Amino acid sequence: MKILILFVALLLFESTILTLSAQSTGLEQGNKTPEIKLSNTKGDTVALSSLKGKLVLIDFWATWCAPCVAEQSELAKLYHKFNQSVFTNGKGFEIYGVSLDAKKTSWENFITTNKISWIQVSDLKFWRSPVAKTYNIQALPFNILIDGNGIIVAKNLHGVELENRIAKFLRK
Amino acid sequence: MKTKILIFLLFTIVTSMFAKCQSSSSGQNDPWTQQQLLDPADLAKVLNDPKSVQPIVFSVGMQAVIKGSIDIGPAMKADNLNTLKEKLSKLPKDSQIVIYCGCCPFSRCPNVRPAIALLKEMQFSNYKLLNLPQNIKVDWIDKGYPMTD
Repeated sequence: MKILILFVALLLFESTILTLSAQSTGLEQGNKTPEIKLSNTKGDTVALSSLKGKLVLIDFWATWCAPCVAEQSELAKLYHKFNQSVFTNGKGFEIYGVSLDAKKTSWENFITTNKISWIQVSDLKFWRSPVAKTYNIQALPFNILIDGNGIIVAKNLHGVELENRIAKFLRK
Repeated sequence: MKTKILIFLLFTIVTSMFAKCQSSSSGQNDPWTQQQLLDPADLAKVLNDPKSVQPIVFSVGMQAVIKGSIDIGPAMKADNLNTLKEKLSKLPKDSQIVIYCGCCPFSRCPNVRPAIALLKEMQFSNYKLLNLPQNIKVDWIDKGYPMTD
């Protein structure tokens, strides 16, 4: 009987690990994020490292990803709420949007129509983007919150959870 | 007591397996059958073997990633679906055809359903949907299968 229970428990454990690893990005909390240097809609290169000193949300998204599109209005609220805030681990809050779009027109139109005012970059290479490989992105939407030193402080949080995590770092 | 624990554990496993099947397979109302789903490994094998009979592969998503595939564009847009219709109208009904998108899981993909429905409507007899349960990156690119240059 004990052996049977152990076997069943092992099976459960294995299935949990499999599910977790499928969502893993290979970058964990406490790790430094790799550099990203991509172009904005005007063609100017914006490096992730240029935001050093700020609390930054790297938002991986695309106009063809329905949940990502739905999330943009929430990101806008967070951006305006925290943009000028001072945190224990950074001064000011910035969003570095990395789009996995393939067509410039769709990407550009969405940004203009929705008046997105934070940084938006893309290499327009869809899922073939080297960034998707470097960050081992398995699904969209996906995001990473980094502190002023580029260290990961949260991964793939959305909605209230994301807002609460950002607020947690506010300097009192 | 032990029996109760065992029943509970077995119930948990069965439930979790059922949930997994639900998330990985397609819905009941999808216009394709399980037999029409093509394993990416099988397509990669054929593409890598020039001696094999090559199917006609249409990308109905954002970008043609698979080597030799024809870029139609997102089939959710009427003009792209018309392009596909035009191309299909020149082919024999028993042509070996493969459709793929790969933006997102099937449950969220806006492109595969209109394309497959069109093939069905045009009475093609030998078409498959490439089974990319997650997306083209995880299920094709990351596996090192052949890509466009």
